[in-house]
Amino acid sequence: MEHLIDMELDALKQALLTMASHAETAVNRAVRALQERDHALASQVNDDDVVIDRYEIEIDERAIQLLAKAPLAGDLRFVTVAMKISQNLERVGDEAAKIAKRARDLSGEAPVRVQIDVQPMAALAISMLRDALDAFVRRDAAAAREILPRDRGVNSMNKQFSAVLADHMSNHSSEVKGCLKLMVVVKSLERIADHAKNVAEEVVFLCEAQDIRHASKARFSQGSTR
Amino acid sequence: MDVTQHNGADSYAGSKAKALHPGPDNDMRASNPSQPFDPRLVSIENYDFFYGTAQVLHNVTFEIPERNVTALIGPSGCGKSTLLRNLNRMNDLIDGVHHRGDIKIREQSIYHPHLEVIALRKRIGMVFQKSNPFPKTIYENVVYSLRVAGLKNKARLDEAVERSLSAAALWDEAKDRLHTSALGLSGGQQQRLCIARAIANQPEILLMDEPCSALDPIATSRIEDLILQLKKQFTIVIVTHNMQQAARIADRTAFFYLGRLIEYDATSKIFTSPANKQTEDYVTGRFG
Amino acid sequence: MSTTPLNNRRSRRPAGESFVWLAAMGLTIGLAMILGLLGLVVVKGVEPFWPKRVVEITLRAGSEHALQGSLTLGGEIVMQRVKTSHGVSQAGGNADAPREWQLFVGNKDAYGLSFRFVDATDIAAIRHPQDVVRFERIEYGPAIGIPVALETSRNGMISSTNAEFESALRQRIDDSNKRRRAIERIERTEIGTINREMKDLAIERAALERRGVERSEPGSRWEAIAAREAGLQKTYAALAARARELRDQHDDDILVYRLLTGAEMRMPVGGVIDFIYPNQVGNLERLQVFFRNIWVLLSDEPREANTDGGIFPAIFGTFLMTLLMSIAVTPFGVLAAIYLREYATQGPLVRAVRIAINNLAGVPSIVFGVFGLGFFVYFLGGTIDSLLFPDHPSAVFGTGGILWASLTLALMTAPVVIVATEEALASVTRGAREGSLACGASKWQTIQRIVLPAAAPGILTGLILAMARGAGEVAPLMLVGVVKLQRDLPFSLDFPFVHLDQKFMHLGFHVYDLGFQSPDSDAAKPMVFATTLLLIGLVIVLNLMAIVIRERLRRRYATGAF
Repeated sequence: MEHLIDMELDALKQALLTMASHAETAVNRAVRALQERDHALASQVNDDDVVIDRYEIEIDERAIQLLAKAPLAGDLRFVTVAMKISQNLERVGDEAAKIAKRARDLSGEAPVRVQIDVQPMAALAISMLRDALDAFVRRDAAAAREILPRDRGVNSMNKQFSAVLADHMSNHSSEVKGCLKLMVVVKSLERIADHAKNVAEEVVFLCEAQDIRHASKARFSQGSTR
Repeated sequence: MDVTQHNGADSYAGSKAKALHPGPDNDMRASNPSQPFDPRLVSIENYDFFYGTAQVLHNVTFEIPERNVTALIGPSGCGKSTLLRNLNRMNDLIDGVHHRGDIKIREQSIYHPHLEVIALRKRIGMVFQKSNPFPKTIYENVVYSLRVAGLKNKARLDEAVERSLSAAALWDEAKDRLHTSALGLSGGQQQRLCIARAIANQPEILLMDEPCSALDPIATSRIEDLILQLKKQFTIVIVTHNMQQAARIADRTAFFYLGRLIEYDATSKIFTSPANKQTEDYVTGRFG
Repeated sequence: MSTTPLNNRRSRRPAGESFVWLAAMGLTIGLAMILGLLGLVVVKGVEPFWPKRVVEITLRAGSEHALQGSLTLGGEIVMQRVKTSHGVSQAGGNADAPREWQLFVGNKDAYGLSFRFVDATDIAAIRHPQDVVRFERIEYGPAIGIPVALETSRNGMISSTNAEFESALRQRIDDSNKRRRAIERIERTEIGTINREMKDLAIERAALERRGVERSEPGSRWEAIAAREAGLQKTYAALAARARELRDQHDDDILVYRLLTGAEMRMPVGGVIDFIYPNQVGNLERLQVFFRNIWVLLSDEPREANTDGGIFPAIFGTFLMTLLMSIAVTPFGVLAAIYLREYATQGPLVRAVRIAINNLAGVPSIVFGVFGLGFFVYFLGGTIDSLLFPDHPSAVFGTGGILWASLTLALMTAPVVIVATEEALASVTRGAREGSLACGASKWQTIQRIVLPAAAPGILTGLILAMARGAGEVAPLMLVGVVKLQRDLPFSLDFPFVHLDQKFMHLGFHVYDLGFQSPDSDAAKPMVFATTLLLIGLVIVLNLMAIVIRERLRRRYATGAF
């Protein structure tokens, strides 16, 4: 039997997924704009961010209307998780816009001669985000848990790239501005991965009603229910 | 940038302070330190119940803790009202009922052959779905259980009336019309009068069978507030169809389906993450 | 209702309106019949008490209606009707049809009859003599005549032309009324007491004989009894002498009067109760006489084979019997209904009992009379007599009496009370019962404190119906205790003050007796209607009392459908 609330929950989910695809696209575009030094592409990311912001507002509105119907149990967890995920996606959009801004700036300057390739880091972050949304759709807590350790890889790449850039800056004072901008880009990518991890944690809460945020890394592999 | 943003400094600070210093409302169990807390005040053990040949309760086992509100929820016909009415053996009035298993209050079986049913009912108060004040004065309604127990001392009766009506949040509205007919009260007031009548004899347990289902939301919310006050003194078992009501006032909730106890847990767990799929389906309204 | 377009010309009545009209018509017809009956009874019952004028009729010569040879006769016009060979039609009819008048001529001792028919065509002249008097008497009913003189023992003869005549007569009549009451007191009360004691002594003597106590035993009761009896005999002789003396005084004054036919009559003043000048009194005084007559009817004892005087014993007997019946039937019926509805397990046996009770309501009342006679009077009464009154010469409880009559009628009306009570008990909501039980009350406490008060209006309805049925029944009473004439009321000043073994008079039986057993049916006719009116009035009063009580109860206990 079709319940009205099912249709509304479904609409909420669709909005979230659309928002997520926009966020993914935005990050991809921003990284490509950086690598290809494409000014126009970078501007498009701004538009993407505006759309993402609008989606956050729409999702919050839908969520509040759903809460007024006093959902319980799984429905309640779903609505609160959806709000949290949309928040994280909005931040991802912001980070993508930051990357795009730096890409625009760097495209107007001479390229920085530093040996870092942000593409794999970006790929890892984007894959984390995509997998998290995937796990959300499939309500797969195990898949969500799998995402969490990948953050370590992104963090280590962040550390590595930051060290390289810091080193380059101390030796090439003329490229400090460029290097700083690149550091911002790397930091943003690290943040995007963090947000993807948050999404994964929310998915675990949705599926298992366990709040695994802020837990120590040693407990990642546990998944027992009460 | 952090995901867990707070709304404002003062509310964060306030809630933080409260978390560090728990007040008396946070721990119900300590409200009456004179009596040791009994987590098994009522224990229902492998209880089967039959109307003639039809079995309406199957192997029900759980415990009701003292001075808590325990809600019994479930779809129509699941046996929750039957179980409630068996706690004070009101179903004995129906012909052809019998049971297996036991119900114990403070480790004493309510079916003990030496236990008089009337004595049992004096220790348990009951409030019904449709308020049923007697066609007498307000005063006479409240003291009814005392009078049938033989109490005649006017001073004690007066004191009981004031105590019960105050506990039922009806004293201010009723104190000037104690000797007028109870039928002149509004619906919500009549139900509060029935609550006062039920607690006049200072029972240990208060049974409530969908007490708010015939009332408007304002009267309902007054009675829910009243229940939260009453639970400091009485152990309350309430049958309700209203999930939100159970979520609002119950400490523990038991979900019944087709005469079986499906899940029994803290209310917060039942309504945010029930363990059983049937419970989840019922609670989210997807039962059909 | 089907939806018809607004411009549909055909007028549509709401469905079922014809039935509403039929119901209203039925109700109107019913009401008209009741009011018509009541009106008839009221008019015919009240009318005889209105003092009428006396006419003096002179018949044409050769008329066959001459009374004792006299062509002049007089009386009150009772009725006018059209003369037909068979059947009668009153008033109306063909104006040319021969009419006859019925006259009440009184003076049964002189004429041998008190009613007379006169052809209207035979009447030559009609006159209203001013000085004619109507006397109410102890015997032979009223007398109508023209007073001539009053022969007193001490003051000589007072002629009727004397101005003092009326007051002297009035005074002598008052005296004789007082004297009569004194005689009554002596005979009924004082001599009655002596008689009762003599009876008790005779019973004691019979008991001693039965027990075989020797007469000659010294100190035995025999001597005491004999002595007491002698003393009583002496007192009795004295009282009887006094009564005789008073009675003789009745004859001291003689009233001489002339009948309208011309004959002269003499009557001791002691036999006269009251008198009026019917053709002289104004309307106001007639009204006074009217109310006085009604009061006499209600408070006096019957005279002249129940055709004259009052019917107070019948009123009291009916009232007391209905009261006793209600007192008997209410606890019995209510308790039976409580048991059937609340305590008995509802199985085929209880259903059979209920059917039996309902059928009991259809049993003819005379059958109840026979049962009452056999069970109450002979069996129970006989047993009581043999246990408690073994030496009475006549049956005490072993014969009909007001107690057995009330119990028989209580049995007859019990089904009504039981059914009404059961319905009232069933209408008490489950919620009220459950609420009481949940408060820790026992089943009986619930019934006593909650169910019965709430059911009280319905129970009273049953009682009203029972009283209405019981007060009107006559047939069973004839077998269990009603008599034609009973001067004594069931209450008296001697122990045990309430005599439930006494027979009694009853308004319904009085109607039957007057209408069918009376030797003078014309004189009885007004009494029949008056008695009927009183019976209806009594039932209405009893019902009103119960209705008032029920209304008060209903206001206090607003639940329930009754």
